[in-house]
Amino acid sequence: MSTTAWMITLQFAGVNALFALAIYASLWTGVLSLAPVFFGAVSAFTFGYVAGTLGLSPFLGLLLGAALGAVLGALTAGLLVRLDSHYLAMATIAMVLIGRVLILNLPEYTGGATGTLVPGDLGTWAWLIGTLVVAGYVMARLAGSRFGLAADAVREDPAVAETLAISPRRIQFVGMIISGALGGVAGILQSSFLQYIGPDTFYTHLGFVTLAAVVLGGAFHWLGPIIGAIVFTILPELLREPMGEYDRVVTGVLLVLIIIYMPRGLVDVRRLRLVRSRWWRPKGGGSEPDGPDPRDPRPAVPAEVAS
Amino acid sequence: MHLLMQQLLNGIALGSIYALFAVGFSLILAKMGILNVAHGTFATWGALSSYWLVFEHGLSFWLALVLGVVFAGGLGVAADLIAFEPLRKRNAGVFAPIIASIGIWIVLLTLAEAFSGPSATSYPTDSVPTEPIRFAGLLLLPAQVISVIALVAIVTAVHLLLTRSRFGAAVRAVSVDPRSATIVGVNARRTLIAVAFLAAAIAGLAGILAALSDNNVSFGIGEALLLKGFAAVVVGGYGDIRGAALLGVAIGVLEVMSAQYISSGFRDAITFGVLLVVLVVRPQGIFGERQLVRA
Repeated sequence: MSTTAWMITLQFAGVNALFALAIYASLWTGVLSLAPVFFGAVSAFTFGYVAGTLGLSPFLGLLLGAALGAVLGALTAGLLVRLDSHYLAMATIAMVLIGRVLILNLPEYTGGATGTLVPGDLGTWAWLIGTLVVAGYVMARLAGSRFGLAADAVREDPAVAETLAISPRRIQFVGMIISGALGGVAGILQSSFLQYIGPDTFYTHLGFVTLAAVVLGGAFHWLGPIIGAIVFTILPELLREPMGEYDRVVTGVLLVLIIIYMPRGLVDVRRLRLVRSRWWRPKGGGSEPDGPDPRDPRPAVPAEVAS
Repeated sequence: MHLLMQQLLNGIALGSIYALFAVGFSLILAKMGILNVAHGTFATWGALSSYWLVFEHGLSFWLALVLGVVFAGGLGVAADLIAFEPLRKRNAGVFAPIIASIGIWIVLLTLAEAFSGPSATSYPTDSVPTEPIRFAGLLLLPAQVISVIALVAIVTAVHLLLTRSRFGAAVRAVSVDPRSATIVGVNARRTLIAVAFLAAAIAGLAGILAALSDNNVSFGIGEALLLKGFAAVVVGGYGDIRGAALLGVAIGVLEVMSAQYISSGFRDAITFGVLLVVLVVRPQGIFGERQLVRA
């Protein structure tokens, strides 16, 4: 690949990392949602419409994306967060699909099937890295906060969390708002990089690639989605030459293999800690924790029984 | 009035295909607890493989239909053995199978796209009679009649199988708790594989019938079916295939009617809008009170 192609690929990796963080933010609270793709679409098309007519400043554009996404996240959470995990996942997929129908059928705002042009002010390295640093900083601070601890608890077991006076619904509500804000910002950056958005820009494919990125990178630490997105965006580019049109097959196979053999992803803090404790006490003085790790995502009873 | 009746018939025929797909989808979702988003690609591969047999090997349409259904069922078993069984062994929870099924979806869809090529084709015109049947001024295509008959036959057969047979009892036992079922002498693994085969085979049949009715064999068949099928299962209520079948037909009618009387562009948005409204208002589905409460 040429240097320019590498640069473009890396920029898309950055945007995908933001989308992946948005999916991670709700997954953190135990909610599997592809809604960030829909939030991104709404923000991007609104930005395209507003920026085209008003000539919005880039900073205001990002704020608009975050605000719009957060509001949509709150609305979605208010309506859907009480659903069973299966239903919620599919309801958010339905949102993505409805989004495409709306884009196709509101041509005076979205350009319909031909799509619309978006100014490329935000499509630069400075804005991308700046946004990623801010997002990463916020996630890192949240991880150690009361919200982060409560989110971990809700994800492991909502019933136990409730006995600790944590309201799972409220935590998931906050998670969806963060997810919405990140999704909205990611959508605006994506549109500014592409400078053209159409009905297929924010569709299921984007959702699956970013979800794959979260799983690959690791859904138990905020660094996971970022690293996963970078790997998952670069890998198909590297495979395109030897694999041709079959490069996506590799994506699919990897997804299955990872979820079976590395369910905690590449960035696995628990494994790192285990490795470190072995290194520090090589002769082994009972440093191995015995019994199940309390952070283990696998329930002690089979899921079929527990549900 | 005449137009309304005609569109009602068209809606029922279209809905029968959705309903058929929904029956297979609900088997996997309710009995195995897997939201299998790859289910649509089983339908696609059923259609593609039977088309290939008819065109490349000159088989008769009906023999190709049977083989296509079996092939789709085989894909379902393969997916279960490769992806879902290892996850079950690891007690991986709810999310892991969804993500694994997305992986299978990507693989099967990409291969289908490469296999079928970008242009859509159709079965030979003499596969089934094309002469419409006239009845009281209404037109009915033989392909539509076949879809409705297939739905009624499959729903009846699957319902009787699940409620009246030893196999059905085993399926119900395994869906509540595989370990306890094993203790009382059910071969849980074999039962789950049989369910995976049955569900995917029904999807394959739905895919072939959809391709026949639309006169269009392409890799996108399964994607449309997947979403309509899911909507039918959710709105109909988790766990009862009759609810899924009924709602599948209702979605077909809703779709044809909204295309006729509201807007053909917003047809899909109306279907999914109804899905979201039902999820918000009545998350357990219309027939949700049938849901098994698990200890």
